[in-house]
Amino acid sequence: MGLISEDDREYLKTEFNRNLKRAVKLLYFRKDKDESEYSEQTKELLEEVVALSDNLSLALKDCDDADETKSEGLDLCPSIKVKSERSGFINFYGIPAGHEFASFVEAINDMGSDNLSLPDDVVEGLREINKPVDIKVFITHGCPYCAGAVRNAHQFSLVNEKIKGSMVDANYFEELSMKHQVSSVPHIVINDKIDFVGNMPPKIFLDKIKEALK
Amino acid sequence: MEFSVRKNERSSGKKHFSAAVIGGGPAGLTAAVYLGRSKVGTVVFEKVIPGGYVVNVEKIENYPGFVEGISGEELGKLYARHAERFGAEIRAEEVTKLTLNEVPFRIETSHGSYTSDSLILATGTSNKKLGIPGEKEFTHKGISFCATCDAPFFEGEDVVVVGAGNSGVQESLYISRFAKHITIIEFLDHSTAEPILIDRLNENEKIKLLTSHSVVSFKGEKFLSNVDIKDIKSGELKNLKVKGVFIYAGEIPNNDLVKDTIKLDEKGFIVTDDRLRASVKGIFAAGDVRNTPLRQVATAIGDGAIAGHEVYKFLEESK
Repeated sequence: MGLISEDDREYLKTEFNRNLKRAVKLLYFRKDKDESEYSEQTKELLEEVVALSDNLSLALKDCDDADETKSEGLDLCPSIKVKSERSGFINFYGIPAGHEFASFVEAINDMGSDNLSLPDDVVEGLREINKPVDIKVFITHGCPYCAGAVRNAHQFSLVNEKIKGSMVDANYFEELSMKHQVSSVPHIVINDKIDFVGNMPPKIFLDKIKEALK
Repeated sequence: MEFSVRKNERSSGKKHFSAAVIGGGPAGLTAAVYLGRSKVGTVVFEKVIPGGYVVNVEKIENYPGFVEGISGEELGKLYARHAERFGAEIRAEEVTKLTLNEVPFRIETSHGSYTSDSLILATGTSNKKLGIPGEKEFTHKGISFCATCDAPFFEGEDVVVVGAGNSGVQESLYISRFAKHITIIEFLDHSTAEPILIDRLNENEKIKLLTSHSVVSFKGEKFLSNVDIKDIKSGELKNLKVKGVFIYAGEIPNNDLVKDTIKLDEKGFIVTDDRLRASVKGIFAAGDVRNTPLRQVATAIGDGAIAGHEVYKFLEESK
């Protein structure tokens, strides 16, 4: 038996079949020869996911390839970047396990479609942003509130290519979590400047971005 | 490691519904199943995750039919799929305002505006705050209300849990997988948890129960480092050095949307009759948010079934 249950596989096949209008590529960046359980499980999960739709593919990448990590805008390893012809920076630093698997599935559906579930006034506000915004959402896999915050960050990046949205596995990236004094999740860090905790509505999240850009 | 597949949001784009359910926990989603089977156009608004608060519970052992127990996460997922199977639309939106003095009722959410001919309020409860010095200052800086979210941050540390009811004891057992030692502070002279949970608590060497004690204040610099507690019988003040505190000191109803428009009891729970009708015609309440003697998944399910059925009857009679 794989990591995803048979029942969930069938459900996801239907979901992907319904949602994916274009090819979606998963770029899995990890250290060369990283055969840790964490890394192997991530790889296994991604292989299982891409097997659920012809529109999905997986490319294994090396974090030590500085040119490629730079061109993809990545600053942590391991990382899963979800890409398609649709513009947007949708990224996961660490494994999207537990509740976070839901935001991973949503990320794939969003990149493979034209989905956008943000209020009109928030979309307008996001379009006005003309400086780089780096959103990191620290999560734990047992946190039911975190996936919503990750999805918001990802959806923001679909609206404006200056915005990068990343999930960060707080337990795996322990040092970074300590740097940002993460002890409750979701803990959101914008441009290393503004921190807040909780899955806030999109409008308040946008206000925090504006605050970080001041 | 587990991988949770939630029901993915699927919007019809509709702005008017025959029935709107506020809250996608066991009560709300059960109501949606019944409404769907009655061919009533139904939307469920859930701001966090289908399943509601129950997804925080690692294992539910008193919901009949699941002999070995079932995780709250799994149960929430099943409820959502069940509601969806019969046509309910589940929207990941937070309801911010209800206008109840006109029909159809108006619903403002974090994402837009809707109308509905009837409403089921199934907004549940939240953990009660203690309202003592330091609580606000150290919330998210050592103080947490979600063990499944934050317990991993306290690996090998000393932790306090406030409250020895079912939630406090159950969550302490979960936190004990991470923390070095847990002290449960209980205001009463005994735990009110189910006896089976108390047995497990007594068997767990990491957990100590301190009854007849109250929490006086939280202290620290940037982060929480100390908790002042008081022996209620002797009046003696004591200090505990801890890195984390989890608060499970009772529940308050999530009544903000209707506190000025719907009749509430003295504790703020929505008053209903035995058909779960609230004080405004066309509005019903189900689950933990209403005045009910027991707040469990099993009772919420029963409420959801009654509310769904009653809304159907109400809509038929209104034609």
